[in-house]
Amino acid sequence: MDFTLYSQPPARVITPATAEDLADCLREASAAGSSVVPWGGGTRQGLGGPPTRYDLALSMSGLSRVVEYTPADLVISVEAGATLGMVQETLAPHGQWLPWDPPLPRRATVGGLLASGAGGMLRLGYGSPRDWTLGMRVALGDGRLVKSGSRVVKNVAGYDSHKLHIGALGTLGVIAEATFKVAPIPPRRQTLIAAFTTTKAPLEAIAQLRQPPFHPISMVILNDEAERAIPALHPFLRDHSHYLMVAVRFAGTAGAVARQIRAAVAHCVELGSRVIELNELDDAPIWEAIADFVQPTGDLMLRVGAPLGQQYEMIRLLEMTTRARGWATARMVIAGVGLAYARWPIAGVPAAALAAALAELRAGLATIGGYVVIEELPAAPGIDRDVLDVWGAPPETLALMRSLRAAWDPAGVLNPGRYLV
Amino acid sequence: MTRETLIAALQSAIGPTCVLHRPEELMLYEYDGSSLDQALPDVVVVPGSTAEVAAAVRAATGMGVPVVVRGAGTGLAGGTVPDRGGMVVSLARLNRVLSIDPASRTAVVQPGVVNTELSVAAAPYGMHFAPDPSSQRSSTVGGNAGSNAGGPHCLKYGVTTNHVLAATVVLADGSVVRLGSTVPDAPGYDLLGAVVGSEGTLGIITELTVRLTRNAEDVRTFLVIFDEMDAAGACVSAIIAAGIIPAALEMMSGEGIAAIEASVHAGYPPDARAVLLIEIDGLREDLADEARRIAEVCTASGARELRTAADSAQRERLWAGRKGALAACARIAPHYHIVDGVVPRSRLPEVLRYSEEVAARYDLKVVNIFHAGDGNLHPLLLFNLRVPGTRERAVAAGEEILRACVAAGGTISGEHGIGLEKRDYMSWLFSEDDLSAFADIRAVFDPTEMMNPGKLLRTGAPSADQAPTQAFRRTTERGAWI
Ligand SMILES: Cc1cc2nc3c(=O)[nH]c(=O)nc-3n(C[C@H](O)[C@H](O)[C@H](O)COP(=O)(O)OP(=O)(O)OC[C@H]3O[C@@H](n4cnc5c(N)ncnc54)[C@H](O)[C@@H]3O)c2cc1C
Repeated sequence: MDFTLYSQPPARVITPATAEDLADCLREASAAGSSVVPWGGGTRQGLGGPPTRYDLALSMSGLSRVVEYTPADLVISVEAGATLGMVQETLAPHGQWLPWDPPLPRRATVGGLLASGAGGMLRLGYGSPRDWTLGMRVALGDGRLVKSGSRVVKNVAGYDSHKLHIGALGTLGVIAEATFKVAPIPPRRQTLIAAFTTTKAPLEAIAQLRQPPFHPISMVILNDEAERAIPALHPFLRDHSHYLMVAVRFAGTAGAVARQIRAAVAHCVELGSRVIELNELDDAPIWEAIADFVQPTGDLMLRVGAPLGQQYEMIRLLEMTTRARGWATARMVIAGVGLAYARWPIAGVPAAALAAALAELRAGLATIGGYVVIEELPAAPGIDRDVLDVWGAPPETLALMRSLRAAWDPAGVLNPGRYLV
Repeated sequence: MTRETLIAALQSAIGPTCVLHRPEELMLYEYDGSSLDQALPDVVVVPGSTAEVAAAVRAATGMGVPVVVRGAGTGLAGGTVPDRGGMVVSLARLNRVLSIDPASRTAVVQPGVVNTELSVAAAPYGMHFAPDPSSQRSSTVGGNAGSNAGGPHCLKYGVTTNHVLAATVVLADGSVVRLGSTVPDAPGYDLLGAVVGSEGTLGIITELTVRLTRNAEDVRTFLVIFDEMDAAGACVSAIIAAGIIPAALEMMSGEGIAAIEASVHAGYPPDARAVLLIEIDGLREDLADEARRIAEVCTASGARELRTAADSAQRERLWAGRKGALAACARIAPHYHIVDGVVPRSRLPEVLRYSEEVAARYDLKVVNIFHAGDGNLHPLLLFNLRVPGTRERAVAAGEEILRACVAAGGTISGEHGIGLEKRDYMSWLFSEDDLSAFADIRAVFDPTEMMNPGKLLRTGAPSADQAPTQAFRRTTERGAWI
């Protein structure tokens, strides 16, 4: 694997073989003041600013075992360097899964996904990885190897420290091992795809599909640029005349799924949906393709969050910012959750123009309580990263976050400069 | 500093009527829902706003007075017992549901709102607050968040931490912070995740934004009757192993069943050795399938009988039995020590059996009433405080059972918290380094250790080592509350 980050190669690559090794590496790095960038599968290294220093690349490839799995308990513990794909392959023969569908599961590691706060579309039906994480072992920045949580499904002994590492981009410690609650795979999953021509109609459809009797496990709204970017969807779209496509996924017994699909079709037709295609077979490949929309490309990838009551406004702001500039941007809304991803083509766009567009979008979203994060900043020539603000304004509680970081990574060696803390 | 200066400072900070200091007033705040310990606070404040909570906390901690926050005081681990004196902050007046947003399925509430009242407020929108501790008719949403409470339906819907989206928190220095967000994945560390379940040691939650859950389309409730406890335990393991996650899967055993029947008339057969209360909810078609699979597993596990609640009245009665179980056991003996261990669900039968052996060895009556589907055991060790030494026997037996839970790969508390009761057991699970990392979190929020000091983690207490003996003495002298 190539550990170059923002055109900087590390001075050295280390590959600990055990959690204890990992902790020793961090203790030494901390004492020596060597900066460390933890690497899982590298699929999300585009998140976060460039490291201010980059001495050690810490590869987690030596820590990729299943530590414990008792199917009868629906609990699995794995080392953090295991890929999500490998975890799913371990679970599948027992009819179980981790209901979590981020992009590139065969390369992305469990630790990297947790640290980068990666989401997925199943969140609507199953909640976020935070809800499925029961405990962790983490090597803190100063080399202490600590655990929190437990390997049973309910535990209140100690603070839920593991939650602090989710989305912290490895700035408090390096996750060595994680324990998850897992779920039985539902007997049937089925997807409905509907195409609309107005911006409001898909949101109305989504609103109706959140009411009884519907229990969708995933819903996304894609604009036509996004549909084009996902070849697996092309068979469903006979022409390309400015559709907004809604994909909705149901799970359960055949009877419950069929009833929901029938009723959902009726709602969509009533709302003027032009195309409806039902996929009768295994719908997993379609959702993998949709998830991969968020994978790194040559584009600038943004993650946008906004309150559920402000989804229309969120979409409008995304659209206005780019349309005024003549940029054709692909967009996916994880409906019912409050998240959206947008890809901005940056070839030939000066960094200052990108920064201005980003600032405008941020200002607009701030008025509705939303935020923007740069999920992927490609290494394109001419893009000066210092001009682009990855994280936006820090939260009011930054001082508390800094003091936590100072306690666990006192030498500041973990991913320096990459996160907002 | 004298107590009088503290009282005067508080009276000027938040007004005299919100400051309680007469002995008869203070006595109401010396205990929680356990019979572990009692201790009088120096003063109690009953603030009516976040600003008043902050002002009172600033005044107290500024004088070096420890602060203990209290919701309804139904906690079972001594979390609200002011064992070092100081100021108790009662949130009884912060008891309003501020808003409900049906579109985003969230509610903004004050911490003193009683759990069921929130669900009542959400009912017109076809929603409810999912965490449902058996104490839900008196325990508060703030207390539920403080202890990360669970409940029967948390098997399917998750515990309190999964339902708290944001909170306003008063820290030890009187500053007010806003943690979490209704917007998912906002950048920054998940400080809210640490505060929920922190038992009042990191700060006082003065407002919460919580998730509401849509009521299910349909629900079915079963009472499954067993002549053998082992078979009932094995049945629970088998249901989970079959990949069935009911909405709730509760178990009751032994003499408790007859006691519940006598007091609640829930329709449990008094001669049963164990019963399971199983509820499934969701879409009709899914329920038909799940019901069939559950019935198969129960039959294969040797159940004597499986009864289905015919209507909502029968369902309510079955649940009234479960929710009234603790109180009903007072018919067997007036006091209880409730154990809250968790084991992997495949290990339930053996640990259950072991808990009965331990109780027999200590010559105590035991009733198991618990969240079986989660593997969360609640052996209820029954005793009479007036009989010298029985309480100590109950605590010792509880300790042995918890050790067995840990040995089976489980934990020492599934939902009741560590409080005073189990802080010395933390080292069974956690190394020095693990505990030091917890202490770091505490120091970030409360560097001088003013908030509920000595709870959850045993830390820097002057008289901490004597506390348990004092507790025994105080409790036995005064008699315990149940
Ligand atoms: C009969 C009975 C049945 C029970 N059943 C269950 C059950 O099924 N599941 C379960 O989990 N528990 C159960 N409990 C225990 C108890 O009811 C729960 O822990 C409940 O959540 C406590 O709520 P409370 O309002 O009484 O909080 P309190 O007892 O007042 O406080 C509990 C803890 O939280 C802290 N706290 C309170 N309010 C706040 C706040 N606003 N901010 C920060 N910290 C705060 C306190 O300092 C204390 O450490 C039961 C108790 C009884 C007596």
